[in-house]
Amino acid sequence: MTAWNDSAGGKRASAILKSRPFLTLAIVAAVWIVASFVSRGFGAYGHLRYLVELGAVIGLVAAGQTFVVVAGGIDLSVAAIVTVSAISLPLLSWQADPTGLVSVIAVLALTTAIGVVNGLGVALLRVHPMIMTLAMATFLQGLLIIIAGGSAVTAENPLVHWLGNARPAGIPAGIILWIAVSTVVLTVMHATPFGARIFAMGANPLAASLSGVPMTSTTLAVYGISGFTAALAGVLVLGMNGQGYVGIGDPYLLASIAAVVLGGTSILGGLGTYAGTIPGAILLVTITALITVVNASPGWRSILFGSLILGLLLLSGREQARR
Amino acid sequence: MTTVPPLLAARGVSKAFFGNPVLRGVSIALQPGRVHALLGENGAGKSTLINLLSGALRPDSGEIEVDGRAVPRMTPALARQAGIAVVQQELSLTASLSIAENIGLGAYPKRFGLIDYNELASRAKAACALVGLNEPLSTPVGRLALGRRQMVEIAKALYRKPRVLILDEPTSSLSATETKILTDLLERLRAEGIAILYISHRLNEVMALCQHVTVLKDGTCTADRSLAGTDAAGLVRLMVGRDPGDLFPKWRPSASSANAISVRGFSAGLMRDVDLDIRAGEVLGIGGLVGQGQEDLLLGLYGAIPARMASATVNGTSGLPGGVPKANALGLAYVPADRKREGLHLIHPILTNMMLPAFARLPALRLRSRRAEHETGKSLAAQLAIKGDLGRPAQALSGGNQQKVALAKWMPHDPLVLLLNDPTRGVDVETKREIYLMLRAFADAGKAVVLLSSDTPELVHLCDRVAVVREGRITATLDRAALSEEAIVSAAMGAEKQKVAA
Repeated sequence: MTAWNDSAGGKRASAILKSRPFLTLAIVAAVWIVASFVSRGFGAYGHLRYLVELGAVIGLVAAGQTFVVVAGGIDLSVAAIVTVSAISLPLLSWQADPTGLVSVIAVLALTTAIGVVNGLGVALLRVHPMIMTLAMATFLQGLLIIIAGGSAVTAENPLVHWLGNARPAGIPAGIILWIAVSTVVLTVMHATPFGARIFAMGANPLAASLSGVPMTSTTLAVYGISGFTAALAGVLVLGMNGQGYVGIGDPYLLASIAAVVLGGTSILGGLGTYAGTIPGAILLVTITALITVVNASPGWRSILFGSLILGLLLLSGREQARR
Repeated sequence: MTTVPPLLAARGVSKAFFGNPVLRGVSIALQPGRVHALLGENGAGKSTLINLLSGALRPDSGEIEVDGRAVPRMTPALARQAGIAVVQQELSLTASLSIAENIGLGAYPKRFGLIDYNELASRAKAACALVGLNEPLSTPVGRLALGRRQMVEIAKALYRKPRVLILDEPTSSLSATETKILTDLLERLRAEGIAILYISHRLNEVMALCQHVTVLKDGTCTADRSLAGTDAAGLVRLMVGRDPGDLFPKWRPSASSANAISVRGFSAGLMRDVDLDIRAGEVLGIGGLVGQGQEDLLLGLYGAIPARMASATVNGTSGLPGGVPKANALGLAYVPADRKREGLHLIHPILTNMMLPAFARLPALRLRSRRAEHETGKSLAAQLAIKGDLGRPAQALSGGNQQKVALAKWMPHDPLVLLLNDPTRGVDVETKREIYLMLRAFADAGKAVVLLSSDTPELVHLCDRVAVVREGRITATLDRAALSEEAIVSAAMGAEKQKVAA
């Protein structure tokens, strides 16, 4: 207990140093440093930039997921929504839309509506979030197979192409999008009454509703946001990939939940921050990159990935017992 | 003194949490055939002492003795073997299990390695009969009212045939009749030679039931003596360290003739076809046995459960609010009985808890002002004497202070009608006094206070009128002049059908 520690500034500094977002960030930095010594080229600026760009996709999906998890729910339909946006976007294009903006907005509106339907099921029909969103995912997958079949669709949307490939001032547009979304998400989560409501809802829904928190509309909003950010990720993936196909969103379900939990957000709801999810997402792509370096067969890669996530969570993500 | 060694004793025990001393050199001896009262304000160290006696915690120094022999490493398992049973203040029941399963939990009778349900049922039935529980044994505990759950908890302790029975505020959620059953039972157990440690904030119960008292104040023992020859005021002095004054503020008429809420033919939950007028400026008590529908009356008015009515007016608007946000907008506020489950967000900071109703009402996306929140929080804390850092989680507070936070969060909204569900349950004397003063001041300012309470003296001394609920109906409305504990209890039991004109 030094004098420095007792001062207000010292307290804040030590609180930050002990916080989960900072811990996750420290793990990312440590892994990057070790990996760049072990593997040639890992630490190159271009490679790290590429990792963050890949992290942006997970980070966008996990933005909505963080809202849902903090509010005490879970969204298992995000992967399907990523696919919906990557496939429906090429189908929704008009001659009168030279920039492609209108079709992007149309897709975002569509997926937000899908999220709101999730919210309706959870809030009004009182279906458990896991069941509701899983059923929604299954429904969407069926619909996608009927619409798109097995073939890939190519995007000829200038805005989407720009998002996936442009580098204004040397920074990939996807990363810029991620920074913008992160700013908005962090502000909404921690500096608005709406953000306070979702934390209250997740920590104790009964006490929240008796305190006057509008439960139905908040639930609808939270799942709507999740649908929206999943679609943003879908648009970005489509831009980076050039083509959309059924299954393009599949990796992002586990990844989004893992990023949220690695970042220190309680899976039980009510505690957490998107500030932890951001390094969580980068940590996930870093692990994936390392596994690729190891040069194992796809089966072993998957096994390794799953085990590493579990190991990291045991290391840092175990929940404190709640009274 | 007796020559028999005490069944259970603590000798000069001390305990500190994180360098914060909670108990300092406290001794207590539980003799067979004696009801021993343990008194003290919230935070005086009562719960810690119980935890030491039952092996849930180990003392930093000092000894725990069983039958006069020191037990160096007391554990809950050893305590159970020694016949020590604790009825916790925080109920430890599993809501989805049946009454019988809860009672036997951890000590199921076995037959061929499987649970012998017939044996369990007969033994659980015997325990239930002792405490007057007549609900079917297969009823899930979650469906019982709070008072009935408390009785299950006591039956669970009795099922283990204890030699030492420790009861932490057993009557705080019990009705008058249930309390009577319990006190009769404790008398009987005492006669059988069981040592009983009894913790309660209700001094008249303590005076009637106990023979010996230990008083804790700030972690030290301020009295360890026979109850004979003491009076309630003397005990309060020992607990608080000063003269008690009057627990209840002076009553003076403050009711106006204007109705804040008026309902006709109101039905919600258990309540059926009720007519009720709540006047601005009055404290209206809601009394009756526990679980007769009183809570549904408050929740129905508050819009938290569906309600039907012939007609209703709330603060000049016709019709009842259909939901909580609407009710808040109409100037209604509700303070729930179970502050941990319904009132607070225990894992969130005290300040966030205080600000939640504001967050619920402000425009969703307007930027918050941390500075303004801090100012509001600080003034609320000062107003209600809530001490310490507002950034700590609410679960760090003692029960009385948690209740103050649950009340404080509505204050910035200046509600016109305050609906309170047993706000002084398990709250120490000093906090009770503060809450009473607040409620009276609230009524004096022309607001309506609806006070549902299981504490009959509270209804008699604080309220302008008391509506007594029985089986979902208001069976009597007693005016100030007709108010007495006898009148409330007899109306609650349906002893006489009186209706004093309002």
